[in-house]
Amino acid sequence: MRAEAPAPARAVKGRRWEALLWLGPSLALIAGVVFYPAVALVHASLGRYSITGVYQGSVGADNYVRLLQQPALSTVLTNTVVWVGAVVAVTVVVSLALAQLLNQPFPGRALVRWALIVPWAASLIMTSKLFVWIYDYYFGALNRLLTSAGVLARPVDWLGDDATVMGAMIAVGIFVSLPFTTYVVLAGLASIPGEVYEAARVDGASRWATYRRLTLPLLKPALLVAVVLNVIYVFNSFPIVWTLNDRNPGFAHDTMVTFMYKIAFKSALRDVGLAAALGVVNVLLILVAVLAYLRTVRWDDGEAAASGRA
Amino acid sequence: MKGVLAAVVLIAAFAVACDRGAGGGPGITVVIAEYSKDHTRGFWQALAEQYTKQGGPKVDLRIIDWNSIDQQVTTMIQNNQPPDVLNLNSFSSYARDGLLYPAEDVLSPNTREDFLEAFARGGQYQGKLYGLPILSSARAFFYNRDLFAKAGLEAPPKTWNDFVQHAKKLQALGGGVIGYAMPLGPEEAQAEWAIWMWNGGGDWKQADAWAINSDANVRTLTFLADLANRQRVTQVNPGKTNRTDGAFQLFKDGKVGMVIGFSPLAKQLDAEGKVKYGVAEMPTTLGKPTTLGVEDYLMAFKKKDNRDAVKKFLDLYYQPDNITKWITAEGFLPVTKSGLERMRSNAALAPYLDALPNARLAPTTDPAWDRVKLDVQQNIGAAVQPGGNPKGVLDQLQRNAVAAAGAR
Repeated sequence: MRAEAPAPARAVKGRRWEALLWLGPSLALIAGVVFYPAVALVHASLGRYSITGVYQGSVGADNYVRLLQQPALSTVLTNTVVWVGAVVAVTVVVSLALAQLLNQPFPGRALVRWALIVPWAASLIMTSKLFVWIYDYYFGALNRLLTSAGVLARPVDWLGDDATVMGAMIAVGIFVSLPFTTYVVLAGLASIPGEVYEAARVDGASRWATYRRLTLPLLKPALLVAVVLNVIYVFNSFPIVWTLNDRNPGFAHDTMVTFMYKIAFKSALRDVGLAAALGVVNVLLILVAVLAYLRTVRWDDGEAAASGRA
Repeated sequence: MKGVLAAVVLIAAFAVACDRGAGGGPGITVVIAEYSKDHTRGFWQALAEQYTKQGGPKVDLRIIDWNSIDQQVTTMIQNNQPPDVLNLNSFSSYARDGLLYPAEDVLSPNTREDFLEAFARGGQYQGKLYGLPILSSARAFFYNRDLFAKAGLEAPPKTWNDFVQHAKKLQALGGGVIGYAMPLGPEEAQAEWAIWMWNGGGDWKQADAWAINSDANVRTLTFLADLANRQRVTQVNPGKTNRTDGAFQLFKDGKVGMVIGFSPLAKQLDAEGKVKYGVAEMPTTLGKPTTLGVEDYLMAFKKKDNRDAVKKFLDLYYQPDNITKWITAEGFLPVTKSGLERMRSNAALAPYLDALPNARLAPTTDPAWDRVKLDVQQNIGAAVQPGGNPKGVLDQLQRNAVAAAGAR
């Protein structure tokens, strides 16, 4: 016994080192790609920078105080809530319907499923530029379509008119979010075993009742993933708002992310420290939003509740 | 085990190697703004090769588009990795922060004396030349000859009254014709505004103090707002129209009677051959029309042991053959006396070269301008939108300019 004991211990110790070596590269990657930028961001948010980017020393929490004093902040916050809320809500609802459709066998289904990937695979900037042209007042396809169909009496400056800019951006946001969300829901649908539907049929449930009381609860885990990831993506989405809104002066249609960019590089503020403070606030904001959401839907017992009801 | 160790060592070695490459070493980093997809990279690539062939160190050449160059340069400086040579449309903030070599350290006397007087002045900060002129352009008044003929107009307008009458007649042609395309969106609003401002008798400053909300300027901006909202002779939402993909695009499509353009627009119009256009002087309220000259800069960043390498590179660019070759290719205007001599023979450039002596520059020598410019770009458009308040907008710009003059 005594002679044997140290041998396994050494083996375990050796294996631990080996494990660390295997994990090493990815740990280094995480440290470099996640941890270091986060620290750098916080550090930048506590500093004062010249317009050229030269560091001029620490100012403590001054940047955060100045951020709260920005007159545009409330507008930008409201825009962000509208932008994220509308895009995610409509995307999820439409994706549920699309996924239901794509889950049915029909000729050409594979083709349609592939086609759905296209807006996902295209670069966001390309898609946004494309929509800039579609929305254009003078050359755009949308105005031509709507005026010739008699829906509009005269063309609309979709991206210049204050009443339509946000709606136009939200439509593009939904368009590019649909593929991912639909596929998440499709995967959720595929994971529901056929027997539960059989049981429902035996019990004589109507189609709508089956969907509402069986499919939807069983989709809850997939929907959770879809909503949380979409909230994060859409909140952080830069290219759509930036490209479609680039002609508009001021901050009237900016979200927190484009506001941050303008503070750093495009507005008269031109202040890296202030923008970094907003960056930190953005991270906290999204964290709080996601946690609050997960709390209200009680994600940990989501699966249990679904299977219990089924 | 051994394999893993080897991999870790390799990764570490690679990281160190990358660090060497980026951290200066013997090469120099040259950052150039992308003036055109066709010519910019080609020219500078060739120049860098010529430089290395003549015994210079390796050149890390970065061509960056105008939309992201401010961001990338700020990030480089913030990370303590400034370029050695930088091309930009502003310089005085960099000079104020003590980042630059003065010209006498990095340019031979011959080159310095070759600069045209106005542009050498436009590159000075506190009496010393830091912003080396790289090229220039001058705005001019473009009009569509076909639309002018259709509207029965014989000559381009000389006064603002003429201008309004012309615009009304053009707009009255119908069929989507626009009298005047006015780009006061964020892209380049300060240029459009400056040209009207000067021809309305105003200026950015009076003596040495900002005078953005002077009476003359309020009159001019009100005049522009009236063009949009009362006379209705502009495109839709001029305060939200950018220059390149807005006003210029409409003019190139033959929809616009008049627009303020510059020589690269003429080059594109010639290449497309779709619009017959004329180039004239700005309509004005003054005795003599004035226009906007734009000067872009090269800057040499003070770094350890890079002075000789930078000097060699700059002297190579400023050799008359090189600088003229590039400026001609991009369709811009010269900044040197020798360049002006060489380009005189080009008839297409005559209107701009003639305008150059009367052109006025933005106050780029004042570091506060770097903020004022952005403020004007972001906000002046609001004044010409329906219900806009020209005086209110100018008052706010003036307050911000005064504040910027005190800040860093």
